Amino acid sequence: MATTVNVKLSRSNRIYRSYEPVEGKIVIKSPTSISHQGIRLSVNGSVNLQVRGGSAGVIESFYGVIKPIHIVKKTIEVRSSGKFASGTTEIPFSVNLKEDGEPIAEKFYETFHGTNINIQYLLTADIPRGYLYKPLSATMEFIIESGRVDLPERPIPPEMVIFYITQDTQRHPLLPEIKAGGFRVTGKIATQCSLEDPLSGELTVEASSVPITSIDIHLLRVESIIVGERIVTETSLIQSTQIADGDVCRNMTLPIYVLLPRLLMCPSVFAGPFSVEFKVCITITFKSNLAKGQPKSDPTAPRLWMALERLPLELVRTKRDQFSC
Amino acid sequence: MEFEFRRRDYRAEHESQLLPRSRTLKHPLSSTLASRQQQAKTVRGSDLDFFDPLMRLDVNASEEEEKVEDASVSIESVTQDLMKEWKSLKRILTQRFPVSKVISFSPVSNIIMKGSKVENPSTLPHLEETGSEQTCVEETAKMINQQDYIAKVHELRDGITSAWQGGDRVTSLKLSIKVTKLLMDTTVLQFYPTVFVIVTDMLDMLGDMVWERIKEKAEHDVDGTLICTLLNDFQASDICLEARETCYNWFCKVGSVRELLPRIYLELAILPCWRFLVNQPLEVVDRLVMMVRGVADTLASLYCRLYMVHRMQKLGFCNSGYLVKCIKDIEDVLAPVIVDKDGYSYISDDKKLLFSLMEPPIEYITKCLLLVGRQENNVLGILEELGFGKNNSQSSTSSSHVSILLHYLLKELPSELVSSQAMEILHMIKCSNDCSFSQILNYRLLGNRLCEGSSQAGFLSSLISEVFQAASLYQTLYDYLRIMDAYVDLLLQNKMEHHLDALLDDIVTLARDKFLSEEEQASLQSIILKLLSHFEDLQEVLPLNHFIEILDLMSGTSKSSVNMHLLDMGTRNGCICDSTTVQLLFEVSQALYDATDFINVKDDDNRQTAHLISRFVEMVDYGAEMERHLMFLAECREAFNGIPELKETLVRSSNTLAVKALKAGKKHINFVKSCLAFSEVTIPSVSTPMKHLNLYLETAEVALLGGLISHSDGLVMSAVECLENESLRDGPKSMDVDSMASVVCKLCSLLVMVPGNPEKGVVEILKSIVSATCSSSWAMPRLKVKILCAIIKLSSTLFQDNLPYRSANPEIIGNDLLFFGDPSYKKELVSCTQLVLGELVDAIEQESSSQIARGNMALEACNCISSALIMNEKVSQLCLRLFEIARGCLGAKDRYIESTKKSLKL
Repeated sequence: MATTVNVKLSRSNRIYRSYEPVEGKIVIKSPTSISHQGIRLSVNGSVNLQVRGGSAGVIESFYGVIKPIHIVKKTIEVRSSGKFASGTTEIPFSVNLKEDGEPIAEKFYETFHGTNINIQYLLTADIPRGYLYKPLSATMEFIIESGRVDLPERPIPPEMVIFYITQDTQRHPLLPEIKAGGFRVTGKIATQCSLEDPLSGELTVEASSVPITSIDIHLLRVESIIVGERIVTETSLIQSTQIADGDVCRNMTLPIYVLLPRLLMCPSVFAGPFSVEFKVCITITFKSNLAKGQPKSDPTAPRLWMALERLPLELVRTKRDQFSC
Repeated sequence: MEFEFRRRDYRAEHESQLLPRSRTLKHPLSSTLASRQQQAKTVRGSDLDFFDPLMRLDVNASEEEEKVEDASVSIESVTQDLMKEWKSLKRILTQRFPVSKVISFSPVSNIIMKGSKVENPSTLPHLEETGSEQTCVEETAKMINQQDYIAKVHELRDGITSAWQGGDRVTSLKLSIKVTKLLMDTTVLQFYPTVFVIVTDMLDMLGDMVWERIKEKAEHDVDGTLICTLLNDFQASDICLEARETCYNWFCKVGSVRELLPRIYLELAILPCWRFLVNQPLEVVDRLVMMVRGVADTLASLYCRLYMVHRMQKLGFCNSGYLVKCIKDIEDVLAPVIVDKDGYSYISDDKKLLFSLMEPPIEYITKCLLLVGRQENNVLGILEELGFGKNNSQSSTSSSHVSILLHYLLKELPSELVSSQAMEILHMIKCSNDCSFSQILNYRLLGNRLCEGSSQAGFLSSLISEVFQAASLYQTLYDYLRIMDAYVDLLLQNKMEHHLDALLDDIVTLARDKFLSEEEQASLQSIILKLLSHFEDLQEVLPLNHFIEILDLMSGTSKSSVNMHLLDMGTRNGCICDSTTVQLLFEVSQALYDATDFINVKDDDNRQTAHLISRFVEMVDYGAEMERHLMFLAECREAFNGIPELKETLVRSSNTLAVKALKAGKKHINFVKSCLAFSEVTIPSVSTPMKHLNLYLETAEVALLGGLISHSDGLVMSAVECLENESLRDGPKSMDVDSMASVVCKLCSLLVMVPGNPEKGVVEILKSIVSATCSSSWAMPRLKVKILCAIIKLSSTLFQDNLPYRSANPEIIGNDLLFFGDPSYKKELVSCTQLVLGELVDAIEQESSSQIARGNMALEACNCISSALIMNEKVSQLCLRLFEIARGCLGAKDRYIESTKKSLKL
C-alpha cells in the first residue's frame, strides 16, 4: 500500500463564506513511518478566463488562455518537519481566507464553472520529503458563497414579467402555415430569482393552429470577457426543461418550475474584466416534417418551426434561512 | 311337534313396557330456541335477522366493537383501503389488457433495444448526464416479443438495485430515468398498462430506497452515531442540514431531466421525501397537478395522474382539493378526444380501446376522491366544485360532463346522496351523451344505485317518468330493456303500479312481431325474474298487464330459466287449486320438459327441473274433483314420461287420492280401484327396484285399507316377485343391505294384517320370501340373517290368538280370526319356521368375511329364536350352538355376549 494524503473539509457540502475559516484535516495513511520536511497548506482562489470558439475571432483564439485573475493566494505551514507514525495520521487545520486589515487583490467571487470563465477555490496540501522521496500532495476544491451581510432575505420580491409569444413577435422567419395560422402563448416568469429557489412562472397556450410538439425552458449563461479592445461574449446552454410534451390543451395554465443547478450557476457578476449573466429562453416547437431531419445541435437556435422568447434572468444570493439548504 | 311358539299378550306387554307420561307446558325444543334468541338480541341489538347457534356469544360481542371502530373513517383507514385498491388495480391492469405477442416500438424505447449497459458517464458533459441524450431518428419500428420486453425491464430493475447496493447511486438514478422514459411511448395502447405497472413498481422501489437513505442520514451522522429517532409525524425542522441537503440534491437531480413525463414520474417517486424539507407540501402537490397538464397524450397523462394519486397516499397527503383539480383536468383533456373536429362524436375501435384503458385509472381516482371526501365529510362540497347540480340553476345545458367520469363518480357516491340528488344526476346523464361511456349504462347505474338506498317517493314518480321518456328515445327494444331493467325493483318497492303497467305495455309494443335476440332475451329475463321475486304468490303476478303475452315472447334458455322460477313460485305456497294456474304451470312444465334432455344428460340443472315438475304435480289439488285429478295424473304421466322421479310422485299422488276417496265414503270404491290400477301400472316404470318394492307395499296398504283383498294380494305378490327379480337387475355390489332389510321387515309387518289365502296355503308368501332370499346371489349373509329373523318373528306373531294390530278397514278379517282353532294353520307356520331355522344356521356359517360380523349375526339369531320359541331341548341346543359360535368369534367378554347369556339364563 502506498502512502496517501487526503484533504477532508469540515463541511460535507464544502461551502464556506469568505469570512469563515476553512477548516478540516489532512489525512495521511501510510504503511510505514515516514519523515517529512513540514506540511504546507495553500489556498488558491482565481478567476480563469479563456477564449475559445464562440464569438472570439481567430486571433483571440490564438491567445487561448488569458492571464488569470488572482483572488486569494496564501500558504501556511500546518506542521513543521518531523515524522509520522505508520497508520493513519490526521492533522487538523484552519485557514482564514481574509485576515482583518489584510489587503486583498480581488472580491471573493462565488464559485462558478462556466465555459470560458472558471472561478475556483483550491486547497492544496504539500508534504516535501527531501530529495530522495517524491513529495506528497493533495488538492481539494471548496466552494465560496457570498457571505455579505447585506444579502436580501428570502423570499425575494417577485419580479415577474408578462410575455406574449405570437407569430408577430418572432424576429426569424417561420413556416408559412405557422405564420398564417397564428398562435398565441402567454405567461409570466420571474426575471429575478434567488439561487436557492426554483425559477417559477406560468405559461398558457391560448391558441395555435399548428399542433405543438414541445415547449421548453432553457437556462442560458452569457459569459463576457474583455480581451484587449473588445468584449468576447459566449452564450451557452446550461439546462433544458420541457414543460409541455405534445399538443397540450388550450387555455390551461402550465407551471414553469426549474430547479437551478448548483455550481453551474452563480449570482450574476459584473466585474471589470469579465461578467457572468443568465438568460431564460422559452421555445415552442411546432409539428413539422422539417424538424425530423435536423440534428438538434442547439435547441435555442431560431428555426422555421420554432418560436422563441429570450428573457434576462438575474440571479441573486439570498441569506440562508432556516429551511434553505 | 318339535317347536312351539311362545304365547304373547301384546296388550299386557305394551302396558308394562310403557313409560309413565306427564303433560308438559313447554315444547322442549321451541323453548330453548326462544330463550337463545332473546339472549342473542340483548347482545346484538334488534337488527338480528337470523340466529346461528354455532356462533358463540362472546364472538358476537367482539364483532360489535369492531363495527363501532369502522364507523369513523380515519385517514389511516382511507390510506390502507387505497393501498389495497392499488394492489388490485395493478392486477387488473396486467390481466385485463392482453397483448398480442409481438409489439413494435417507436425509437423512444430504444433503451430496451440497447440493453442495460450504462455508458461510462464520468467524462460526459452535464447535459448528457441528465439524460437528454439525442434519440436517434429511425423510421423503422422495431419488433420485440412481450416476454422479452418485460424480462428486459426486470433486468434493468435488478441493475438499479445492484447499483444502489454497490453505492453507485448515480448509475441507479440514470437507469431509473431510462426505465421511466418507457412510459413516454404509447404506440402500443394495450401494452401501456403493463408497462405502467412494471415501471411504477420500479419507481416505488426507488422512492423507498431514497427515503430510507435520507432518513438514515437524518438519524445518524457520518460516523454512524445516532442523532435522533424520527417519529412518524416528524417536522421538517427535525432534519439535520446534511440530510436536507442530500434530499434537495435528489430533487435537483430529478429536476434536471429534460423530458416532462419522466421528470414528473421521478419526482412522484421521491415525493414523500418532500416531508424532509417542508411541513406543508400543498404547494408541491398543486404544482405537480398543474405540471401533468403539460403531458398532451391522453392516456399517458391519465396514467400519470393515477400514479400521482397513488404517491400522494405515500406522502400521507389526503386532500380532496387536488383530486378535484385532477378530475377537472381529466375532463378538459378528454373533451377534445370525445368530440372530433367536425363537431359530432363517433367512435372508432382505437377510441374504444383507449376508453377501456382509461377506465381503471378513472375508477381509482374517483374512488380515492370520494373516500377522501367522506373522510373530510364534504362529499357534497366536492360535487359542487365539480359542477354537479349546476344544471338545475341554469336552464341551459352548458355543463355536460364526460360520461365515463360521470359513471365512476355515480358508482362511488354514497347511496343517500344518490337518492337525494337523483333528479340532478338524471339530468346530467341526459346531457352527457358521448362516446366515452354508454349513456344506457349510466341510466342503469342510476337505477341500481337508487335501489340500494331508501328512496323518497316524493320525486320518484317524476323521476321515473323522465327515465321512461329518456328510455323511449332509444328505438331498439334491447336499449329500452336494459335501461328499464334497473328501475323495475324501484317500481316494485314503491308500489308504482301505474308505471309498471306502462312498462309492460311498452315492452309488448316494442317487441311485437319480432324475433328477440339473445341479449334482449337476457334483459327481458332479468326483468321478469325481478317481478317474480318481488311477488309472494303467482296469483299476484298473472293478472299483470300482458304478462302471459310477454312470457310467450321468450324462448331458449331464458325461457327455461323464467319457467323454473314460475314453477318454483307456483309450488312455494302450498296446494295449487286454481285450474287456470294449474293449466299455466302444466304448460310451463311441458315447455321446460321439452327444453331439457332428461334421458341423456344428468346434471344438477336437470335434477332441479325434474324436482320442480314433481313438486308441481304433488302440489296440484283438484279438491272434490277427484276423477279430474286422476286424469291430470294420467296426463302428467304421458307428458313427462322421461322423468323417473316423477313416477314415484304420481304413484304417491294417486295413492293419496285413493285414500281421500275412501275417507269420503264407500260410493267411490270404483274410483279407488282405478287409482290402484293407475298405481300398479305406473310402478314398473319407476327406475330403482328398491323404490318398486316400497311403492308396491304402499299401494298394497292402500288396497288393504279399501278392503280390496285381491288387489292387495296381487300387489304383495308383485313385491315378492320384485324381490326375486332383484338379482337379475343389479349386482350384489349395488345392494344396500340396511334399506333392503327394512323393506322386507316392512313387508313382514304388513303381512301381519293381510289375511292368508287358504287355497294357496297360508304361508305361501313367507315361503316365497325365504326362497327368494336364500336362492338369490345378492343377499349377503348379514341380510339373510335379518330377513330370516323377521320371518321367524312374523310366524311367531301369526301364531298368536290375538294379533297385535289389524287393518283399519273393519271388513278385513285378520288371520287370528280367519284360522281360529285351525291346527293345520299352526302346523304350517311351525314347519315353515323349521325350514327357516335351518337356513338361518347355514347363513351364519356362510359368513366368512368378518369374525365380528359373524358373532353378532349368531347372537341376533339366538336372541330372535329364544324370544319366539319356547325353550325345549332342541331349541336350547340350537341356541347354545349359536352362542358358542358367537363366543368363538367375539370372545367371552363382549357385552352383547354377556347380555345374551343373561337372557338365555345360561
